[in-house]
Amino acid sequence: MSVTAQLVLNGVMLGAMYAIIAVGLTLIFGIVRVVNFAHGEFLMIGMYAVYLLSRHAGLHPYAAALPVVLLLFAVGALVQRFVIQKLLNADEHIQIFATVGLSTAFINLALLLFGADLRAVDVPWARQSAAIGPFNVLFGHVVILAAAIALVVGLHLFMQNTALGRAIRATAQNRYAARLMGVKVERIYIIAFGLGAACVGLASALIMPLYPASPTIGAYFVLTAFVVVVLGGMRSMVGAFLGAMIIGIVDSLSGYYIAPDLKEVVYFAIFILILIFKPTGLFGFGRGTE
Amino acid sequence: MPLLARLSDPRFWITLAALSLLVVVPVALGSPFAIHIAVTICVFAALSTAWNIVGGYAGQLSLGHTIFYGIGGYAAALLIQHFGLTPWIGMLIGAGASVLAALAIGYPCFRLRGPFFALATIAFLEVVRLLVIHFNGFTGGSAGLIVPLNIGWAWMIFQDKINYLYIAFGLLLLTLAVSSAIRDSRLGFYLTAVREREEAAQAAGVDTARAKLSAAMISAALTSMIGSFHAMYLTFLEPATMFSLATSIEIAMFALIGGLGTVAGPLLGTLLVVPLAEAARGWLGAAANGLHGLVYGVVLVLITLTLPGGLAGVLGPRVETLFNRLFGPRKRAEAAAPPARRVEGAPGETVLETRDLRKMFGGLVATDDVTMELKRGEILGVIGPNGAGKTTLFNQMSGFLDPTSGHVAMRAPGGAMTTPSSPDGFARLGMGRTFQIVQPFGKLSVIENIMIGAFLRHPAVADARALAHRVARLVGLDHLADVEARNLPIGDLKRLEVARTLAIEPSILLLDEVMAGQNQADTQKMVEIVRAVRDTGVSVIAIEHNMHAIMSLSDRIVVIDSGKVIAEGDPAAVVADRKVIEAYLGEDFADAQGL
Repeated sequence: MSVTAQLVLNGVMLGAMYAIIAVGLTLIFGIVRVVNFAHGEFLMIGMYAVYLLSRHAGLHPYAAALPVVLLLFAVGALVQRFVIQKLLNADEHIQIFATVGLSTAFINLALLLFGADLRAVDVPWARQSAAIGPFNVLFGHVVILAAAIALVVGLHLFMQNTALGRAIRATAQNRYAARLMGVKVERIYIIAFGLGAACVGLASALIMPLYPASPTIGAYFVLTAFVVVVLGGMRSMVGAFLGAMIIGIVDSLSGYYIAPDLKEVVYFAIFILILIFKPTGLFGFGRGTE
Repeated sequence: MPLLARLSDPRFWITLAALSLLVVVPVALGSPFAIHIAVTICVFAALSTAWNIVGGYAGQLSLGHTIFYGIGGYAAALLIQHFGLTPWIGMLIGAGASVLAALAIGYPCFRLRGPFFALATIAFLEVVRLLVIHFNGFTGGSAGLIVPLNIGWAWMIFQDKINYLYIAFGLLLLTLAVSSAIRDSRLGFYLTAVREREEAAQAAGVDTARAKLSAAMISAALTSMIGSFHAMYLTFLEPATMFSLATSIEIAMFALIGGLGTVAGPLLGTLLVVPLAEAARGWLGAAANGLHGLVYGVVLVLITLTLPGGLAGVLGPRVETLFNRLFGPRKRAEAAAPPARRVEGAPGETVLETRDLRKMFGGLVATDDVTMELKRGEILGVIGPNGAGKTTLFNQMSGFLDPTSGHVAMRAPGGAMTTPSSPDGFARLGMGRTFQIVQPFGKLSVIENIMIGAFLRHPAVADARALAHRVARLVGLDHLADVEARNLPIGDLKRLEVARTLAIEPSILLLDEVMAGQNQADTQKMVEIVRAVRDTGVSVIAIEHNMHAIMSLSDRIVVIDSGKVIAEGDPAAVVADRKVIEAYLGEDFADAQGL
């Protein structure tokens, strides 16, 4: 029993990590209506940036979060402005190819610059266990969980209570009507894409003490994040958060009870089943827009 | 085009001669590196051409295509290892397994749209790769598998590398021939129709699921055979390279760069990009690790931004013009239009009926217990204010919407009343419908649009084309035959909608506001066309807001308001009905008229 409880707790910690990445993906999909296949590579860029900042500027990875969040916001905004914006009215497959092309280019650029070696930043206390009653969690994971909750709550408040947030929600629901109401839709898209990328910027700073950076690290996390986003109904941040928790727990439990190398098979199977049988996501958050 | 006509066309020989340079040049150079590059080009061009059948023609963006490549490779290698079976047979068994895999993946996934289909194929690829790693007792797991090195043609392993090039080139030719044959066949047209507009394809009687699955199965078989060969060439298999997402993406990328959905595109894209990348790898060695991928990625983004039609989109028309100047226009098999189909059955019998048809959208009742009948040879007008539920009624009569309760039945050619389970099922039994919001296949020409309908009863391309021309003349679109449909104004699009529907040679015709957007003369002409069609035995239901046209056209009128039939009968009687005037003009107006 306590093994299962510990595994569920591990799953929640893992889920928190996926949640931050998936919330960014959800923002981009929900607002710009583009599936960003390069999202994982944004994470990879962020992680290398954190690595460089802590290695050469001596910044603690958590302190590097701020500059990296800003950097990623800029990367996302530039990608939106100079690539996606030009393809908004293009066929869907052209949009897919564009982000897939970006992903391929980024992975290989990293390979060219940093080689295939793993680059790690050592933050000893982040990998230390903290005891909560009979259970153990890593400090680094507690920080991530706190950040994930803060991020979802913060973004929710921002969306509900600010003029910009309202403009973003209006654009997400109907881009034409929003434009008629004087919303600068192009600018909203740039901001939304930037925000989505900034979320991974935050994720990369928090993940860096626990996982080493490598050119293909993005694919490792983001395929899971796609599963999460689909599970959460694709448009809802709360859905993405809950989806992340579920996938984290499934990951943790199936790794223990089935086989460590088959846990991905389990949640990809869930992914395929959800896509096919319940495309609005587990909680039905995907309905009711456009 | 029939084979003989093709063999006498100089275009065919020029193309073949150009292709053979892929073998001639490396043989002349005699360098192993040149041979290696040529083999790699042949393999990737063939993979990309095979992918294009699903990804280009049918527009289903698979990013998991190395599943079939890997299955082919592993099937051939494992059959040698465990059963001493020659890879020539292993190749075919692998292709069979890949076809089954394509069915298993395609059947559930083809209902997904765009990016979600792509994601699902990635997920399948990941699952297959992880399973291959997991069952390492059988597959060798992540450590990989070495192909037993028995040398000779029987084992597809050679000391003289040039032999590999012969096989790779043969596979490329085979794949190109299949791709080209599909392009010029009914399946090719159907796939394009499915890609452009799935609903309109269904209305034209295309079993869209079957078309996509056929494409997937053919593509998977070819991909698998190439995978078997490539495994023999590489002599080493591991899950990470055989079931690689990066390779899947590259295959798709070559097709996009060359031109999606064209026969030559995937080959062109491969020819442009692979030699660059391989040369960089050869000259710069490990220092260039990542360079070729970077080039691929950047080229891909640039192509999407500047040349979404790919190289073939730019070069294709010019080559066509050049060839036409050199050899005269391309010969096309001509056929006399097949005789017009006579509609069988007793005049006056019921051909379509609805019983208590009710459709709810949430709390909204869109059709409220509608019961009506269409008699053979009759023109029934359906009128009613906007939002009355007329189009929803049509959608249920043609299988596009399932009623919440009640039922629809149409008379099948045998005489029985039946309810098909899909829109294309309705169409195959003789239900033709147009869409109020026109649904042209934008990138097909006018005549090709009409051919999509004509294929339903005439599988041969020449027959379908001849019939399409006859229908085009009937509706007055013949002078626009070769114009792409997306360039037509709305009036012509409405007529194209009617033409495509007439080309399926329906016995029941549902016309949804086909007069809208037509000028007076064209409206008059449309009325005449509908009458002429009725005179061949076709029964017609027309939704129309053009009162003048519908009153002169219809034998009988049904008036619908708020989902209910409120009046029915002779046109003159219906327009005088108080309920009808109320529905259109309000109670006050009816009172003022003293009705």
